[in-house]
Amino acid sequence: MVSPKSSRSPARCAERTPGAGRRRFLAAAGATALVALAGCAAAPTLRPAWQAPADLPRRVELADTPFFPDDTYYCGPAALATVLGAAGLAVSVDTLADQVFVPARRGSLQIEMLVAARRGGAVATLIPGEREALMRELAAGHPVVVLQNLGLSWAPAWHYAVVVGYDLERGHFILRSGAIERELTSFRTFEHTWARSGRWAFVALPPGQLPASATELEATRALVAFERGAPPEAAERGYAAALAHWPASLILAMGLGNTRYAQGDLTGAEAAFGDAARRHDAPAAHHNLAVVLLELGRPREARAAAERALAANGALGEAARATLARIDAVENGPDSPR
Amino acid sequence: MERFKRLISILMIVSFTNVLFIQHAAATLISTEQVARAVAAEQGRSGHARLADVLARADVQQELVRLGVSAEDAQLRIAALTDDEAALLAQQIESAPAGSGVLGAILLVFFVLLLTDILGFTKVFPFTRSVR
Repeated sequence: MVSPKSSRSPARCAERTPGAGRRRFLAAAGATALVALAGCAAAPTLRPAWQAPADLPRRVELADTPFFPDDTYYCGPAALATVLGAAGLAVSVDTLADQVFVPARRGSLQIEMLVAARRGGAVATLIPGEREALMRELAAGHPVVVLQNLGLSWAPAWHYAVVVGYDLERGHFILRSGAIERELTSFRTFEHTWARSGRWAFVALPPGQLPASATELEATRALVAFERGAPPEAAERGYAAALAHWPASLILAMGLGNTRYAQGDLTGAEAAFGDAARRHDAPAAHHNLAVVLLELGRPREARAAAERALAANGALGEAARATLARIDAVENGPDSPR
Repeated sequence: MERFKRLISILMIVSFTNVLFIQHAAATLISTEQVARAVAAEQGRSGHARLADVLARADVQQELVRLGVSAEDAQLRIAALTDDEAALLAQQIESAPAGSGVLGAILLVFFVLLLTDILGFTKVFPFTRSVR
């Protein structure tokens, strides 16, 4: 069958393909069987039609997204290679398989998919499980990895695919999926398969680019996890972009300071921690500011900051006392060990 | 013997990590991950919670090896997990969905899935086309 598998009216199907009559019979029989088995199966079609927001483009296709065909169990590594490639971070499917594939489960786990995207150099951010969020990412040029259950809840066939486009007029998504480079899946069928996976989806973007739809919580979580294994200058780019978008975030401000410090940029770190300390009066901000001021050779200011860290909260008391001891050592004479 | 090896490996990881923590507390900044966790919980974590993280990591590593991942790869894979991810993975490694492609669990329910495919509820077979 050459024609694309989009949702079409049965009449057109019948004209084009000789087997359609029999298929329609099967469909009718199946519908009867399903309704008999579980009365709920037909319910989703009764929902009011979904209205696309007016500012969404009518049609998007990220045609330059690479394609890594797979007809075995490597849909996870293939999907990762696809989005990393689109982000300009080429990683081979085999390398990614070593990072995510679990042989005895014949598949890849969701958490490890995010981890491997980070190891490939991208910030992997979960997006809301909504059709509009998916479309906003596509409209912003970001292909989206989705987990689908192509089978049924009690007979699952878990599958990772990459959504690269949609067409509002014709009512389908365009996916890089398995061995098919340009799979057209109707909104309705996609909803079924996606809902069965808990509507799990993420984007993998170079640090410094923000997802179009992610919440502050998920964007922050993604960046903190990214910082763990990334070069500090890359993590700093990510924090700086996110902080510009969510300036009230303590975590992002601390991340900016920490990644600057990790690069040896003490002045930059002082600025970031100073801002965080003024804005949030958080013990962690005071504490890190104290360490940086001490290393900048300003022990008096460092002591003031460390004492505020100690006064604010007991949880970081141990660290604050250790830093005060360092300050003491410096102030008591240049020969003392730091 | 397996159990003994496991115990030894856990003990080694715990002691090694503790050494790291002590040096950490004395010499450097509060990490972003610590801040994030403190914000989430409104307070720092106890030693017990930290110990649980370490155990979760050891568990996940061992499970991955049991499920066929090479020891070397498993080590690299757990090293890249955040503490939260390690804890989550330790709980779910057996039960979480493992996206594998379209071959899983098919033959048994071939006909049911064929019908549901045709109806557009599922999309297992590349050759089916939804009737709507």
